[in-house]
Amino acid sequence: MKTSKSIYLFFLPGLILYSLFFLYPTISALFYSFTDWDGLSAAFQFVGIDNYTRAFTGDSIFRKAIGNNLKFMLTVVVFQTLVALAFALIVIKNTKTNVFLRALYFFPTILSSVSVAFIWAFIYDPSMGILNQVLSLVGLDFLAQNWLGDANIAIYSLAVTQVWFHAGQMLIIFVAGLQAIPEELYEVAKIEGASKWQTFRAVTWPLLAPSATIVVAYTTIQSFKAFDLVFAMTGGGPNNSTEIIATYIYQVAFGSYQFGYASSISVIFMVIIALITYLQFKALRSDRVSY
Amino acid sequence: MKKKLWLATGTIGLGLVLGACAGESGGGSSENGDATQISFMHWRGEDKAVLDEIIADFEEANPDIRVEQNIYPSDQYQATAQRMLQEGSTGDVFTSFPGAQFESIESAGFFEDLSGEEFISNFDESLITVGERDGTQYALPYQLVFNMPVYNKGMFDELGLEVPKSWTEFQEMADTLLENDITPIAFPGADIGPNQFMNSMMMNNAPDEDVFEKLQNGEESLTNEWWVKTLEDFKLLADKGYIQDNALGTNQDSAMAMVANEEAAMIATGSYHMASLIALNPDLELDLLAPITVEESEATYEGINTATFMLAVNSNSEKKDQAKAFIDYLSQPEVASKYANETGQHLTVNNVEYESKELKNTAYWIDERKTRFQPRFLITNAQIEGAVLSSIENVLGGEDPMAAAEAAQQIVDENRE
Repeated sequence: MKTSKSIYLFFLPGLILYSLFFLYPTISALFYSFTDWDGLSAAFQFVGIDNYTRAFTGDSIFRKAIGNNLKFMLTVVVFQTLVALAFALIVIKNTKTNVFLRALYFFPTILSSVSVAFIWAFIYDPSMGILNQVLSLVGLDFLAQNWLGDANIAIYSLAVTQVWFHAGQMLIIFVAGLQAIPEELYEVAKIEGASKWQTFRAVTWPLLAPSATIVVAYTTIQSFKAFDLVFAMTGGGPNNSTEIIATYIYQVAFGSYQFGYASSISVIFMVIIALITYLQFKALRSDRVSY
Repeated sequence: MKKKLWLATGTIGLGLVLGACAGESGGGSSENGDATQISFMHWRGEDKAVLDEIIADFEEANPDIRVEQNIYPSDQYQATAQRMLQEGSTGDVFTSFPGAQFESIESAGFFEDLSGEEFISNFDESLITVGERDGTQYALPYQLVFNMPVYNKGMFDELGLEVPKSWTEFQEMADTLLENDITPIAFPGADIGPNQFMNSMMMNNAPDEDVFEKLQNGEESLTNEWWVKTLEDFKLLADKGYIQDNALGTNQDSAMAMVANEEAAMIATGSYHMASLIALNPDLELDLLAPITVEESEATYEGINTATFMLAVNSNSEKKDQAKAFIDYLSQPEVASKYANETGQHLTVNNVEYESKELKNTAYWIDERKTRFQPRFLITNAQIEGAVLSSIENVLGGEDPMAAAEAAQQIVDENRE
């Protein structure tokens, strides 16, 4: 009995850190979201739900940021999941080449996001960048674009960078999931005469659902929080076309010193992420996988 | 016994974690032996070497004071300086941008009143008013920047081009450059281009220096002629090819390379890029040229100035006397001259001796030309500033000037206080 009580002490450091760095800031944000606090002064006024009303009815940039974030998230979730899965299927066997390739694909993940931003800003530069120069060299000049300067495509250019940055991380999750599928099931499918596509659809994909759920949920949260990459590459421009919720919160809080309003956007942001993640879990139904 | 052991282990573990956190956030100003250490917080990483030399000389002259530089990149500085000042451990002496940052620091009460300090007389009285509020001198601008295009004077001489005095002449000059396969203006639209070039593009379209104050209080609108005309002028620059293709994707390094390689005749930034351009191509002969967007007879201003890098003392500092002593030292003409010549900056300090060719060649802008304080810094609401800049990006992206102005005005209306 004594042992079972003392075991709770193991939770204590984690609980204190979690409370200090997550619970307290979250509760503070909720509190300040009902105030006009400027982040500097000791004094502030309670403004009721004014900040929330403003966010939903009187702030066109916030609405644009939500739209941009959804575009960014959908592009990243679809392509990052597909790219990671495709590469995972290629490197699933534990050969020396595949182990090397996994490490290679994982490599971008260990870079700092600011380094990645600089590398890709250089690649995308319309006049000196590698991408347009390569397109020009192979006779595809007509595909050359103002990748980060064109408000219509800038958010997708950022999404490509995000996929390159994190696909390797998701690949590892998929490889682990694929390797956990019993070999006998593939043997049965083969005996039954299933094609490769049928095998993938009936065996691989259903049994990969738990991994896919993790990948999709993690990618969603990651793409909502892609602050550093976006901030370093475009700063939200041109014309707010790459402004996402995280960069907008930063701008409102530290550019305009409207911490109260920024807190209200943060709370809305948290609810949006929670809602989308919940819907994804429901849709992918990872708990219903069975052999 | 076991319970006590767990508690002790947990307490020590937590102590170590919190101790590590405290260690990381500390630093800055502390007592260092017999000397008092002060923190000098600023954003000019490129000036670190010369400031290190100046600080070494200062410390030799004032053995009881040590100065540590705390440098943050300018974009980060805009966001974090206020938090640092609030805490009080960093930035006994600090610098502030004019405009929104000055306003927010002033309203938060972090500026120590410098009125009455003897060293104020070392500065040019007419250039430090931007650091004053209601008769109180809170900050002293140190650098004098001209936020207007830098042009290749040698190239102009070679092509027989004169500095244009009207919008018509400006377009004729740009046409001549295009005929010679030279891009008239390298525009770094991906970063600082819009916020720098807007100043000279609008200075004569809206000669009223209170125009942005009126915009913020609802007396003016971006859909009025002064701003729509400015956007139309930007559109003309893009449509006629006076700025390079894909300008919104070009950053300042690429734009500087265009001028250094003589592919472009001007860079739409400011005097602070002259030293870097000379470093890239020592054969360049440079001067400043602001587009006059009206006819010669209607022109009020010839250029833009910004008194910036405003030196101030943190009101939360416990070492105010030492901090003031350091500002006093920086304002001595011989020290300021060293700083000016090694950083390629004009200063607001009196009796500075400029030695470099580009500083000497452009010093006439300080008192012989009619320049206007950077209008952008008179927008004190960052959201409204963002709307103004977005309308320029919108037009360069192909939008109709009036539609861009209307979209921006909507954001102004949403954010007016």
